[in-house]
Amino acid sequence: MRLLVVGLSHRTAPIELRETVDFARGGLDVALKSLAGRGICQEAVVLSTCNRAEVYAVADTAADADSLGLFFSEYHQLDHRETAAHLYTRIGGDAALHLFRVAAGLDSLVVGEPQILGQVKAAYTTASDLQFTGPLLNRLFHSSFATGKRVRTETGLGEGAVSVSYAAIALAKKIFGKLSGLGVLILGAGEMAQLTATHLRAQQVRQITIASRTLASAERLAGELGATAAPWTAVDDVLGTADIVVTATGATEPVLTRARVDEVMRTRPHRPLFIIDIAVPRDVEPAVGDLEQVFLYNVDDLQTIVKENLARRSGELARAEAIVTEEVTRFVSWMQSREVIPTVVALRQRFEAIRQSELLRLEPKLAGLPPEARARVDEVTRLIVEKLLLTPTEQLKAVSDESTIAAYAEALNRLFRLAAEEQQRTTSAAAPASKAPRS
Amino acid sequence: MALVPLVLYTAAAIVYGLHFARRAPRTGRVATAVLSAGVLAHTFLIGMQTMEAGHAPLVGTTSAISAFVWLLALAYLYTELTTDERAMGMLVAVLLAVLDIIPAFNPTVVPRPEVLRSPLFTIHVASLLFAYASFALACVLGVTYVLLFKEIKAKHLGFFYARLPSLQVLDAMNGRVLTIGWLFLTFGLVVGGVWATQVRTSPDPRAQAMSVADPKILVALVSWGVYSFALYARRAIGWTGRRTAWLSAIAFAIVLLNFLPVGYFLTKSHNFNF
Repeated sequence: MRLLVVGLSHRTAPIELRETVDFARGGLDVALKSLAGRGICQEAVVLSTCNRAEVYAVADTAADADSLGLFFSEYHQLDHRETAAHLYTRIGGDAALHLFRVAAGLDSLVVGEPQILGQVKAAYTTASDLQFTGPLLNRLFHSSFATGKRVRTETGLGEGAVSVSYAAIALAKKIFGKLSGLGVLILGAGEMAQLTATHLRAQQVRQITIASRTLASAERLAGELGATAAPWTAVDDVLGTADIVVTATGATEPVLTRARVDEVMRTRPHRPLFIIDIAVPRDVEPAVGDLEQVFLYNVDDLQTIVKENLARRSGELARAEAIVTEEVTRFVSWMQSREVIPTVVALRQRFEAIRQSELLRLEPKLAGLPPEARARVDEVTRLIVEKLLLTPTEQLKAVSDESTIAAYAEALNRLFRLAAEEQQRTTSAAAPASKAPRS
Repeated sequence: MALVPLVLYTAAAIVYGLHFARRAPRTGRVATAVLSAGVLAHTFLIGMQTMEAGHAPLVGTTSAISAFVWLLALAYLYTELTTDERAMGMLVAVLLAVLDIIPAFNPTVVPRPEVLRSPLFTIHVASLLFAYASFALACVLGVTYVLLFKEIKAKHLGFFYARLPSLQVLDAMNGRVLTIGWLFLTFGLVVGGVWATQVRTSPDPRAQAMSVADPKILVALVSWGVYSFALYARRAIGWTGRRTAWLSAIAFAIVLLNFLPVGYFLTKSHNFNF
């Protein structure tokens, strides 16, 4: 039983290939069923986002990774010689390390972005609902969620907006708390105005008013966004009620002067006003920011924040990687302790069989004993077996590297002739699976 | 025994500080646990003192400080539980630890003089101490508001920006604790006034000194005036933000002034320290 991941991501594949290799487009369930039809693996999860396509699987041997790679090409009808060059394979503990880094946002294009954890969860849920996951992948993915959560809460990796729009929204939240219930005024009807308005609308502000020098273009944009259009002459009135103002006009002279905003602020004393000036050249006089209760940020200010946040995120990388390493170590030791379980079970069954057969052999001699004494004999023999097995079991479970586990298992198999029994057991257990036996 | 709460409050201040700096949720929970342990130990201590003396240990400035620290810790824990916001914990715990130094090293309960044997006295002291605890929270909220305001205004988003709740939340919480504090302050002062007229006939020189000219009473009335103005400014004029934040910080400075130097050295009417 080997844990495998095969995939491609923004690190290894160009955008054209990532667009083609998209399992989500046709539905993850379809991809999972197609994969199951090939009989390569016992457990599988398909993760497909715009920056990566990966299959996590539990297969018999590491060589099955090649079959998984072939599945990538054949499912998307691509030339495998070309695709293969962009695919990566991770096995065992490395596969766990890979997933944990992905879930923590360490492998993302924008390091620390939070969406990936949700995407990993969704991919797992789809596979688990269709019963494509088993004990190994269940544990693997739940550990990856825990890792992602730890990295998010214990480090500043996901902190601080890394785009100008989000920086503006984060600032607005720091000033006003919730943005729902706030009034927004947008000056200008160009592309930048539209982009910002879309972001703000996603925050469910109470009302968005758009004002432009030409009322027609304001009305057009307002129509697209479900906002209200206001004539240029009514700007001062709307300013009096707005909480957030975004200026993005093409004007060459400042639209909002200190005197003008000061005048408006007198009608709304003590209510904060957040002005975001994304126009170049600037629409708002810098002196407006000196007014009490006015917070003025221009594009350069926001870009500085973004740069600082990016720098801070990279400073948190080491802490995040340390958490990932810690969680991977824990998972790997669990995974390895799992590998000795068949040997432990076989050993116990062997001893129990000996005990039973000896009791059976002694049956004629024990027949004369009263029931309590017979129960005592049964009890004593059982305890002897338990005690004999206690130390070997503990020692086996404590072994942590793969080669030692294999050596121990081999030795026990030979010493106690477990192999025959174990084989019998595994073939009967594997019978319901639709998988052809491999060597 | 009197040192146990001090040690725990100091530990809480350190853990809250660690939590503030590193923001690990586990550290936050440990901080809350340590502070809760401090409050429990303090409750036990006050309970013991009550049993020993046969009355609530509220006589004298030192006991009053101890009760104040206890109430502030309780009030803070309540706000933390209801808002799930630990950012104020460090400042509050530091205040607790610093103030608790006095009662921790001087835990003897002053016997209650004849003149204070009235339920009105207990109500007077308890409600004023609760008011002061609310004002302490308002002060901490005000200080954090100003720190955050300055960072946003100066466009240097850094330490406080990442750690404090929004300006609006800080302001709303400030308004709430100011109102609660003002109600208790008013009530406590009225009860004190009623009780002072009742003990006019007492031969105790301190009862004789109960007048508006006494520094303790005068400063208490001044602080009532300042807090009344702060509330009026918020509700009627619509002051928010930095001004009320400053006001709550300054007003608490007056409260502390009345509590410590005036209470120990200047007042004749409220001098029950020995």
